[in-house]
Amino acid sequence: MQVNFTVDEIRAMMDKKKNIRNMSVIAHVDHGKSTLTDSLVSKAGIIAGAKAGETRFTDTRKDEQERCITIKSTAISMFFELQDKDLVFITNPDQREKDEKGFLINLIDSPGHVDFSSEVTAALRVTDGALVVVDCVSGVCVQTETVLRQAIAERIKPILFMNKMDRALLELQLDAEELFQTFQRIVENVNVIIATYNDDSGPMGEVRVDPSKGSVGFGSGLHGWAFTLKQFAEMYADKFKIDVVKLMNRLWGENFFNPKTKKWSKQKDDDNKRSFCMYILDPIYKIFDSIMNYKKEEYESLLPKLGIILKHEDKDKDGKQLLKVVMRTWLPAGEALLQMIAIHLPSPVVAQKYRMEMLYEGPLDDEAAVGIKNCDANAPLMMYVSKMVPTSDKGRFYAFGRVFSGKVATGMKARIMGPNYTPGKKEDLYEKAIQRTILMMGRYVEAIEDVPSGNICGLVGVDQFLVKTGTITTFKDAHNLKVMKFSVSPVVRVAVEPKNPADLPKLVEGLKRLTKSDPMVQCIIEESGEHIIAGAGELHLEICLKDLEEDHACIPIKKSDPVVSYRETVSEESDQMCLSKSPNKHNRLFMKAQPMPDGLAEDIDEGKVNPRDDFKVRARYLSEKYDYDLTEARKIWCFGPDGTGPNILVDCTKGVQYLNEIKDSVVAGFQWATKEGVLCEENCRAVRFNIYDVTLHADAIHRGGGQIIPTTRRCLYACLLTAQPRLMEPIYKCEIMCPEVAVGGIYGVLNRRRGHVFEESQVAGTPMFIVKAYLPVNESFGFTADLRSNTGGQAFPQSVFDHWQIFPGNPMELGSRTYTIVQDTRKRKGLKEGLPDLQQYLDKL
Amino acid sequence: MFYLIGLGLGDCKDITVKGLEIVKKCDKVYLESYTSILTCGVEALEQFYGAKLILADRDLIEQGADEILDDAKHSDVALLVVGDPFGATTHTDLVLRAKEKQIDVKCIHNASILSAIGCCGLQLYSFGETVSIPFWTDTWQPDSFFEKICNNHRNNLHTLCLLDIKVKEPTLESMTKKKKVYMDPRFMSVKEAAVQLLEILKKSESIVIDESSLCIGLARVGAEDQQIVACSLSKMASVDLGGPLHSFIVVGPKLHPLEEEYLLQFRIV
Repeated sequence: MQVNFTVDEIRAMMDKKKNIRNMSVIAHVDHGKSTLTDSLVSKAGIIAGAKAGETRFTDTRKDEQERCITIKSTAISMFFELQDKDLVFITNPDQREKDEKGFLINLIDSPGHVDFSSEVTAALRVTDGALVVVDCVSGVCVQTETVLRQAIAERIKPILFMNKMDRALLELQLDAEELFQTFQRIVENVNVIIATYNDDSGPMGEVRVDPSKGSVGFGSGLHGWAFTLKQFAEMYADKFKIDVVKLMNRLWGENFFNPKTKKWSKQKDDDNKRSFCMYILDPIYKIFDSIMNYKKEEYESLLPKLGIILKHEDKDKDGKQLLKVVMRTWLPAGEALLQMIAIHLPSPVVAQKYRMEMLYEGPLDDEAAVGIKNCDANAPLMMYVSKMVPTSDKGRFYAFGRVFSGKVATGMKARIMGPNYTPGKKEDLYEKAIQRTILMMGRYVEAIEDVPSGNICGLVGVDQFLVKTGTITTFKDAHNLKVMKFSVSPVVRVAVEPKNPADLPKLVEGLKRLTKSDPMVQCIIEESGEHIIAGAGELHLEICLKDLEEDHACIPIKKSDPVVSYRETVSEESDQMCLSKSPNKHNRLFMKAQPMPDGLAEDIDEGKVNPRDDFKVRARYLSEKYDYDLTEARKIWCFGPDGTGPNILVDCTKGVQYLNEIKDSVVAGFQWATKEGVLCEENCRAVRFNIYDVTLHADAIHRGGGQIIPTTRRCLYACLLTAQPRLMEPIYKCEIMCPEVAVGGIYGVLNRRRGHVFEESQVAGTPMFIVKAYLPVNESFGFTADLRSNTGGQAFPQSVFDHWQIFPGNPMELGSRTYTIVQDTRKRKGLKEGLPDLQQYLDKL
Repeated sequence: MFYLIGLGLGDCKDITVKGLEIVKKCDKVYLESYTSILTCGVEALEQFYGAKLILADRDLIEQGADEILDDAKHSDVALLVVGDPFGATTHTDLVLRAKEKQIDVKCIHNASILSAIGCCGLQLYSFGETVSIPFWTDTWQPDSFFEKICNNHRNNLHTLCLLDIKVKEPTLESMTKKKKVYMDPRFMSVKEAAVQLLEILKKSESIVIDESSLCIGLARVGAEDQQIVACSLSKMASVDLGGPLHSFIVVGPKLHPLEEEYLLQFRIV
């Protein structure tokens, strides 16, 4: 399959870990990642150069090619040699093996549509650097921000590429100064996001992107050309007799050159011109102008000056075709991008030093931690499996991931640990041999003997033991590598059933495969026997259902209308002290519920307040930010549901004997009640429960789990019911780009769907407007189509889950919207219809 | 009328004459089957009493009490309890609820482990607070009873330890599910109790009780094959007294000479 390399050659490169770059390409949808990736791949020699820009090499699926969007992320390995003159730009000794010019670049192209953000998360985990692609016409968009934020949080170093310069020149006809301003604004926007989530004094050091340092590229992926200031500085270095690095600084920002006096200046005056416009944009503009306006003599004299020699067969072309050839010959995209990647993105050796503490759950000085930190191929194996990739063999998957320490080899015995594994326990742990280690490159896989630390690879045979992700190690006392945190949640769900009831077993098997093949999708069986698929949005679900029907289950499927998940919360403090007695009546719990202050639930979601914090530090934070009583804040028993959710249980008792003996049982009851709330068994959110008093039987046997767990649940239910329960619904943040005439139509559609606009602005330098709005997910079904039909197809929305919001109305009041939702949900889940009865949960003294 | 009838400890014949007379005339007879068991089976009881028995598990007594009591308004209902109705088990709540519903309640007493324990020769007067020793799980390992044993010991008192029985208990995993899965029946033996106590000893720094403290293990008190041994705590950890039910005594520091003499017959080294 490879034109240039054998597996053995690649394997040899894998050992030179300082010359490896693991990177992902991230961007907003339609900003041109896949196309740009193609030009990289074409340079690395895997597909023919002529096809760059037309192939979408990384979109391996038929529907991806049809829809022209990336759905699954794809990995490719590339090889690139840096010239001696470029090697001097690498100053960190950990960024290059001595005497080695070749670089092994593992690139992951990931989807830009928000519905597939989980794929991006999985990609970021296994890479150290990110090429952030921004369409210079539309600028930084919602998904650019989301993924960039995630990248910084994972300690992934970004470099920036301004794509679609051809559009800026041909369609928008921006003049040079305007274009410079556009570029500068995008760079600033990106750096603001970076600065918000990263501290320059942090372990990653300075991660800002800077054109004058060469970490920002410009060009057109579609036309196959790109440059950084470095390319132009090299062209002019001799002329000016200035060192390339110094010249790069002069070619960006507030640097002006006066051709008459040959003087540089920091200020604009009448005779001088911005150097970036003069030396970089002007020649490009001239080429564009002369070729697109068919001024043959002009460009025929211009090209040799710029050192562009066309191949014989290209000389007859004209117009756009010629433009492409000329630009591609002059400023080949692959060359510029690969240089940027090799020079500015970190090697695993550099990256793992600061990423280790973010990756590893165990003590930061054990063998595994040290192995990761040093990227040591001789340390015990530590590998993170970030996703499962379907094989051609139906129902089987390659486990795709990154080796952080040690070596993974075909046939070696390893511990396969799922996300629920806890050291010392046997749960979620398998000790099995790795059947086969493979290299994964776009559409192809190749067997490989072993893979050392710092590299990305696939494993065969591990899929049976892991659901989606996991840690693979040879170190007996290893803890897990941290589970990935997704930026989107599965808030939209549909129920599915086979058209032919006899196909049910096939559906069940298909759902299992679907769960594996997508990093985020959840497949749930309701108490009523219904099969539910939960995903990030309509498009995500649509793709999931298609995959299920065509690939995983291979049977015709009936699906319900999409519904959203809700959360149960309270709006006031319980109006009475709630008492529940244990079944044997000898134990009594006294509790109350109250809403959390605004922001706390989000703090818990984001991990700013979490169960693993030191309780004193956490208490101080809660008391300072949320005015919680310090003593009470120190006695948070647990978070829930699932031990980490945004509800807390606080011990407000005083001097109750043997309270510790029932703590575990109370916690279990709390987890249960917050997972299945009292209204319609949806998760609870933003509720604080306080235990005020407990009466216990004198004897341990009479206060065991059997007595306390159900009692806790009943008591918590009573607390919820007496605290004005409410439903919360998920809200999307929508960004809609459109021309001015369409803005009115957008407002109309949003109003009908309970949405509201919170920002409306013109994209500077373009006639386009951006409307930002909040829209209930529940109202989002069919939103895209509705919007298009009301704006003559001119508005295109991107919606990403943003927050939970209380659904107005009392669900306990017959006839309210929320009452109907509760009843529908109960019916769907096979629960008794009607309202929960307080008397069932509340006991009398 | 609602009758609570103690069945005593041994077999079907341990019921009192008065109790038997009532059982025979009752319209419905429940057998409480989760806090203790008799050595003979239910069939033997039914045959001897000449009445059909309804097995009442924990769910029925604790959550379905209304069902039992409502019948008692218009007819005679009896609940048979192994041992004494107000002994080691806790049926006071049932009586309170019957009173609430204005149902007359009558109780027929019988021997309980709390009194029959005298068979080992220790004076009932010198027993302190009774404790239960529950089965430990990975996450639930209460040891508050140990403190109570130590307190008794300090006060020169013996401690009767009732040992956990699980007849029809839902598993912890299924507790938070709608469908209950029940554990297999389990009965704690004196051996298991001693092992758990030794575990606690390892963790605590007790100077009151140690491995050599004198303990008594009793099995099937009141039955034909009743068995009693007296030995040190560490020795008890290897004693096998056969089938259920077992009871355990941590002997106080000072023995009356008569107690000492009586214990001799059970001593093993």
